[in-house]
Amino acid sequence: MDELLTHDGVARDVAAPLVRRLKELGTEQLIERQRLAELDIQTMGITFTVYSDGQNIDRAWPFDIVPRVIAGEEWDFISAGLAQRLRAINQFINDLYNDQQIIADGVFPAHLLDASVNYRPQLRGVDPPFGVWAHISGTDLVRDDDGQMYVLEDNLRVPSGVSYVIENRGVAKRAFAELFSRQRIRPVDAYTGELKKLLASLAPGGAKEPQLAVLTPGIFNSAYFEHSFLAQRMGAELVEGADLFVGDDDCVYMRTIDGGTKVDVIYRRIDDLFLDPEVFNPDSMLGVPGLIRAWKAGNVGLANAPGAGVADDKVVYAWVPDIIRYYLGEEPLIPNVPTYRTMYDDERRFVLDNLGDLVIKPANESGGYGLVIGNRATRDELEQAAANIESDPRNWVAQPILDLSTVPTLIEGDLRPRHVDLRPFVLTGRTSYVTPGGLTRVALPEGSLVVNSSQGGGSKDTWIVDGVSNPDDSNASANGADSNKADRNNGGPSAGSNGGVL
Amino acid sequence: MALLARTAERLYWSARYLERAEDTARIIRSFHELAVDSQAEHLTRWEPLAAITGSALGNEPAPEANGPGNLDDAGERWVTWSLIADRENPSSLVNAVDRSRENLRVTREVMPREAWQVVNSLSQYVDRNCEAGSERQLRDRFLARVIDESRRFDGVIDSTMTRNAEYRLFRLGRLLERADMTTRLLGVRAATLLHDDADPRGLGLIDSEIQWMGVLRSVSALQMYQRATRSPISGRAVVRFLLYNEEFPRSVACCLGGLRDILDGLPRPEAVLDAVAAAESNLLDDTPLASDGAILDEAMDRIQNALAAVDHAVRETYVEVRSPVSTAAVRGTVQRQ
Repeated sequence: MDELLTHDGVARDVAAPLVRRLKELGTEQLIERQRLAELDIQTMGITFTVYSDGQNIDRAWPFDIVPRVIAGEEWDFISAGLAQRLRAINQFINDLYNDQQIIADGVFPAHLLDASVNYRPQLRGVDPPFGVWAHISGTDLVRDDDGQMYVLEDNLRVPSGVSYVIENRGVAKRAFAELFSRQRIRPVDAYTGELKKLLASLAPGGAKEPQLAVLTPGIFNSAYFEHSFLAQRMGAELVEGADLFVGDDDCVYMRTIDGGTKVDVIYRRIDDLFLDPEVFNPDSMLGVPGLIRAWKAGNVGLANAPGAGVADDKVVYAWVPDIIRYYLGEEPLIPNVPTYRTMYDDERRFVLDNLGDLVIKPANESGGYGLVIGNRATRDELEQAAANIESDPRNWVAQPILDLSTVPTLIEGDLRPRHVDLRPFVLTGRTSYVTPGGLTRVALPEGSLVVNSSQGGGSKDTWIVDGVSNPDDSNASANGADSNKADRNNGGPSAGSNGGVL
Repeated sequence: MALLARTAERLYWSARYLERAEDTARIIRSFHELAVDSQAEHLTRWEPLAAITGSALGNEPAPEANGPGNLDDAGERWVTWSLIADRENPSSLVNAVDRSRENLRVTREVMPREAWQVVNSLSQYVDRNCEAGSERQLRDRFLARVIDESRRFDGVIDSTMTRNAEYRLFRLGRLLERADMTTRLLGVRAATLLHDDADPRGLGLIDSEIQWMGVLRSVSALQMYQRATRSPISGRAVVRFLLYNEEFPRSVACCLGGLRDILDGLPRPEAVLDAVAAAESNLLDDTPLASDGAILDEAMDRIQNALAAVDHAVRETYVEVRSPVSTAAVRGTVQRQ
C-alpha cells in the first residue's frame, strides 16, 4: 500500500492537501524545490559519516522532499503503543538484573538469558532510577500491505537518527512553507528539551542544574554529527572517553582547564563493551576506567544503562508481547511481526516447510548479517539455512516476508512509489515521551527494501497531521483482531508479494 | 561553562598555527619585496629565511640548468617553495594552515561559525594555490591573501566571540606565537648580518637602512615605527622598537603584556604568569646590539627559550590535566566555584 494514495491513486484524506499541492506544483517546480532543499542541507552542514576506501567521509544527508503523512489520531494510538512497549521492556530488563521473577514464573526461558550476548552479569543487583535501563529507544516500525503497523525491531543500545528528524523538519518547512501554515502538523523540536529533562532526572542527589555530557567515540564515528548536534541543543558538554576520569571518591570528572569538573549525567553513545575497561573490554581506548563503579555507587547517571541491549536481541524480541502482558497486564497495542522460534519443534517444522516464504534471521547478528530472504535465495542458500537451523535451532528466528508500504518519491524527475520504514524515538524515565512521527527512511532503487543511509537509502520528513478525519481506507489503527496476529500460535505467514524485510 | 582541556589544547594550537602561517607569510613577503627591487636584489639572501621556522631545509635539488646567472633564482624558488608549499616540512605555511584548520574543525561547537568558515576557506585557497608562492610573479598576491584572511579571523572573533575561556586560550596561542615569530624575524636578520661580515662587498649605510625597513615592513611596523621614533631608521632603534615598545601590538613586550591580561581571566594562572614574568625580565636584562649578528642571535635564542618556558607552563596548567589529577585537588576547585 501507499501511505499517501489509495490503490486507485486517489489521495488519502490525511494526505489530500499535500497531494493537491504536489499536483499544482508540477514536476518542474518540485525538482527546483528538491534542489533548493539539497542546497540547504549543504550550507547547514547536515552530514553523516561513511567509511569507504579506508577513509571516513562526511556526506551530505540524503533527503527527499515529499513527506510521509500520518493522521494524528492514528499516531496517538501508535505513540501509546510505543510507550507501553518500552515501559514493559524496561521492567523486564530491571527484572533480569534483579529478581528474575519472569524466569521463576516460567514466562521467559532461563537458557535464553545464558545465551544472550548482550546480557551483562557484572551488573546484577543494580537498580537504576525509576527501574529504567533503556531510556532512549529507536523502535523500527513497518507497515505491511494490509495497512497494519508492526514493530520490526527495538534498538535499545545507542540508537541514532533523531538529529535528522529535527533537521529534516527544518528543511521541509522551507520546501513546503505554504502547507505548514495551512495544516496542523505537529512540531518535532521538543525532543532535545525532553531528552535534557530526562537526563537531568537521572542526576544523583537530585542536583538542580546537573552537568550533562554526551560521550562520543570521536569524530570518526558515523553518528558524530548527531552527538555534536545533541550536545549543542542541550547545552551539554561533548566529551570523549579520555576527557573523563573517575576520582578516588568514585565520582566522574571532566578534565577541564579548571583541573576537573564533576559530571552528573552521561548520555553515552559508546557501545557497552567499550565503556569501562575495568569491567568490560580491557583494551578499550574509548572508555573511562571506573565508570561502572561510579554508576553502581549512584554517583553518576548513565543513559542508556549498560546491559539494556539484552532486550533487543532478535530471539528475545519474539517474547515482547508476552513481556507486555506479564508486566502490565495489557494487550500489546502494536503487534510484533509474527516470529517463529526454531528452538520449538512445532515452529521449527513450520519454518523448514515454508523456507521460501520466510525471512530467516540469526539471533545475535546485526546489520542484516546472515539474513536469508526465502523468495530471493538460491536453492543452495535455502538448503544451507535449513542445515543451520537444524544444527543450532536456538540461534534462529523466522518471519513472514512483509510488503513494506511506499511513499511517492522524487526519482529522476518523477514521483514513484518507494518502500519506507519509520523509526520513532521513545524516551522512558519517570514518564514517557514519543517523538511525533520519527525518521522515515526510504529505499531509493525500485523494489528495494534497503533503507540504510550508508547503503544509499534516503530520508523523508514525517508529518503527523491533526484535524483530519481518520480515513477508513488507511485501515491503520491496530485493533484487537490485528494485534492477535502477533501471537506465536496464530496461523502461518502472510504471503508477501515482492520483498522481504532487511 | 567548563572548558575541556582537550578543547583548550586544540584551540591553543589552532591559534599558534594560524599565527605561524600569517607570520611566515609576512617574513617571506618582506624578503620578496627586497628581491623584486633591483637596487636591493644583491642584498637578498634567501637561505637565512629557513631559520625563521627553525627547521633545516631538506636536500636542495640540483639547480635548474638555466645558465649560471640563475643560480640565485633557483635558491629563491627552492627556499620559498620549501617554506610555503612543502608538505614534508612540518613548519611550512601550507601545513600550518592545515593544522590550524584541523584543530578548529573539531572545536567548531565553541567558536563562531564565521571564524571556522574563514579558516576553512583559507585552507582551501592555500591548498589550491600554494605552488604560486614560489613564483615571483604570483607570490605577493598569495601571501597578502594569507595575511588578510588571518586578520579577518581576528576581526570575526573580536567582534562576535564571548570573552570566555575559549577566547582566552585562542588569544594566548596567538600572542605567544607572535612574540616568538618576532624574535625569529630578528634572528634571521642576525643571520644575515653574520653572513655580511664574511662578505667582502660589505654593507653600505643605505643598504642597511633598506634592510631594516624590510624588517619593519614584515610586521606591518614601518609606519608606526616612524610615528613613534621620528628618527632615521637604524638597526638599534628597530630592535628596540620590536622588542620593547609597549604600544605596538607585534612587539615582544606588548605580546607579553597581552598574555598577562588574558591569564588574569583564566583559572590557576600563577605558574604561567611566573613564566611570563621570567620572560619579561629576561627581555629587559638583555639589550642586544643590532649591529653584531652573533650577539643579536644569542639574545634572540635566550628570549625564545623563555617563551618556550611559557608554552610549557601553559600546557602543564591547561592541557596536561590529562594525567589523572588527585581528587583532593579537584574537590578544591569544585568547591571554589
